[in-house]
Amino acid sequence: MEAPQDNAQLLSDCAPYVKFAKLDELLALGRANSLWPLTFGLACCAIEMMAAGASRFDLARFGAEVFRPSPRQADVMIVAGTINKKMAGAVKTLYDQMPEPKWVIAMGNCAISGGPFVFPGQYAVVEGVDKLFPVDVFIPGCPPRPEALIEGLLKLEEKLTGKRRWPVVKPD
Amino acid sequence: MLVKEVISPPGAPNETFVINLGPQHPATHGVLRVKITMDGEYVVRAEPICGYIHRMQEKMGENRTYAQYLPNTSRIDYLSAMTYTHGFVGAVERALKLPVPPRAEYIRVLTSEMNRISSHLVWWGAFLLDLGGFTPLLYAFDDREKILDLLESITGSRLTYSYYRIGGLYNDIDDAFIKGTREFVAQMRPRLKMYKSLVTDNIILRKRLLEIGPISKDMCRKYGATGPVIRGSGVPYDVRKIEPYSAYPEFDFVVPTFEEGDSMARYLVRMEEMAQSLRIIEQALDKLPSGPVMAEKVPRVLKLPAGDYCYAVEAARGRFAVRIVSDGKEIPYRVKLRTPSLSNLSLFEEASQGMLLPDALALMGSLDLVIPDIDR
Amino acid sequence: MESAPTPVASPALPNPLAHLPIPFQAVDYAAKGYHLDATVAPDQVVTVAEQLDKEGLALDTITGVDWLAQGQMEIVYDYFHPAKALRVVVRTRIPRDNPEIATIQKLFPGANWHERETHDFFGIRFLGHPNLTPFLLPEDATYHPLRKDFVSC
Repeated sequence: MEAPQDNAQLLSDCAPYVKFAKLDELLALGRANSLWPLTFGLACCAIEMMAAGASRFDLARFGAEVFRPSPRQADVMIVAGTINKKMAGAVKTLYDQMPEPKWVIAMGNCAISGGPFVFPGQYAVVEGVDKLFPVDVFIPGCPPRPEALIEGLLKLEEKLTGKRRWPVVKPD
Repeated sequence: MLVKEVISPPGAPNETFVINLGPQHPATHGVLRVKITMDGEYVVRAEPICGYIHRMQEKMGENRTYAQYLPNTSRIDYLSAMTYTHGFVGAVERALKLPVPPRAEYIRVLTSEMNRISSHLVWWGAFLLDLGGFTPLLYAFDDREKILDLLESITGSRLTYSYYRIGGLYNDIDDAFIKGTREFVAQMRPRLKMYKSLVTDNIILRKRLLEIGPISKDMCRKYGATGPVIRGSGVPYDVRKIEPYSAYPEFDFVVPTFEEGDSMARYLVRMEEMAQSLRIIEQALDKLPSGPVMAEKVPRVLKLPAGDYCYAVEAARGRFAVRIVSDGKEIPYRVKLRTPSLSNLSLFEEASQGMLLPDALALMGSLDLVIPDIDR
Repeated sequence: MESAPTPVASPALPNPLAHLPIPFQAVDYAAKGYHLDATVAPDQVVTVAEQLDKEGLALDTITGVDWLAQGQMEIVYDYFHPAKALRVVVRTRIPRDNPEIATIQKLFPGANWHERETHDFFGIRFLGHPNLTPFLLPEDATYHPLRKDFVSC
């Protein structure tokens, strides 16, 4: 029979080779490292999203360059652009078609609150995508820089895993 | 020729079905919905349905003062935002008879041409993405980042600039910008040669585009198509040459025109336009006059005399015109935006009849659409 | 005969379409942005479109202006020539409470979408149009937002 002290010794010997964690944390780490976005570029912010996926800003470093056209294969919906009342039904359908667990990033001022298209008497714009379904991360800007989109993704990863795994870059 | 008449064999049931392309689709370049009635793989009728990104730009013209409307102008067609701001600002200056200093006009031409190159690069990358080639998008965005860095250094913004103001510009360019632009021109020319040998002369691209989607001169005229669409059909219509504006009469450049009218012709027009834009940029840098960049007496409160005023520019997609109807107040009575993508897309229904679906998408990509340009 | 695009302060501006029975007025391009301007009766727009089509002009755009104070709606047709500098504006006015006019869609198929958009924004009915359903507004829209008496829904 082994004494309890030997168990602790065994664990510390294994530590360089085996990691023990709760299943939740492992799943969260896996999900955070490979968030697959839905290609949902509506307007100007879509171009900055494409630039974030291109080679200079490179979302591939974070596992998120695989933009899926089908909502059934996507984890995160990056709403990039203005939501119209005509389009709102389609957006809600796409959100419903995404399987759980799913997250939403509202990119740009239009997705946050209607953006520059809100004026008294406006008849066509839904003022913010959170009027349709819950949003996890808001990225302000018109359009936000690709670095801001990357920061938004990192904030989403922080929300998933509970801690921020990448350094905060401070400007010089 | 791949365009065929859709003929059902005698005795076969005539079964067509309707599929929906969009509004969320990787190949529609925005939120466009196309209701396609198909007979097998052939398109019987393709009906574009617009309005999914209608952002009330014309209604906002009646709710904003002339100066407050400037950010809207950049967001109509965000890929060639400079030229759209130019159209609006030019209309106000024309109505007020405001003289713009020559240095400002040259810088406007310079930045508009840089914007044209960056817009054509996005078109090129996205078009090839539609056809199935993923790599050119990365090269295009790499070149584009250089242009965006230069423009950001003088305007502060990467995509939606609002750089031009009524009466001139709000910020002058500095030596670092001039040096950077010359370096950009020097490294862009070999890149265009590389794109020609790798992509334009590629046998797969040629088979995808040659003789696909022919558009005749008369069809362009009936639908009002402008830009590379009409120039790819043999008509050398370019607003910069036919109705010259700003400082364009002082520049020496060619308007590329190809006779065939197929998707390859439209492709070649845009590739050649990038080379011509580089020529204009070099001439602008060489001949840049000194002086102020803002008109001397711009009224604080802008009120246009009653009447209507038009101003047209050659944007990357075609002719963009602004018509301002004023009743003498600070806020316009009506702002009408004549956008090129609407006229260019309106011929898609007639031009795509009987085509294979991938060919119809190649035709749509060669029209170079930006959907907020259609919906405004 | 072409009108020059550079601003010329000439006492009589040229009218290259003077041979047509349309009441064109020559306009200073540098001040306004177009060359010829004509106001016609609403039942003349199709004939004018035919004549301009024969001259080889292209349709640029069609739009409306709501003159609430005068109880009228103005419809503005813009035409241009694809080979030379010639911009032509044809205007007409119809009563605001019953805005109807014939369509020019059979001559210029591009007018199809412009007329649908004008109908969306102003409620002008284009008689003979094959498909006057909402174009930019939602399919079930019954409002016309660019009318001056439009109150947001």
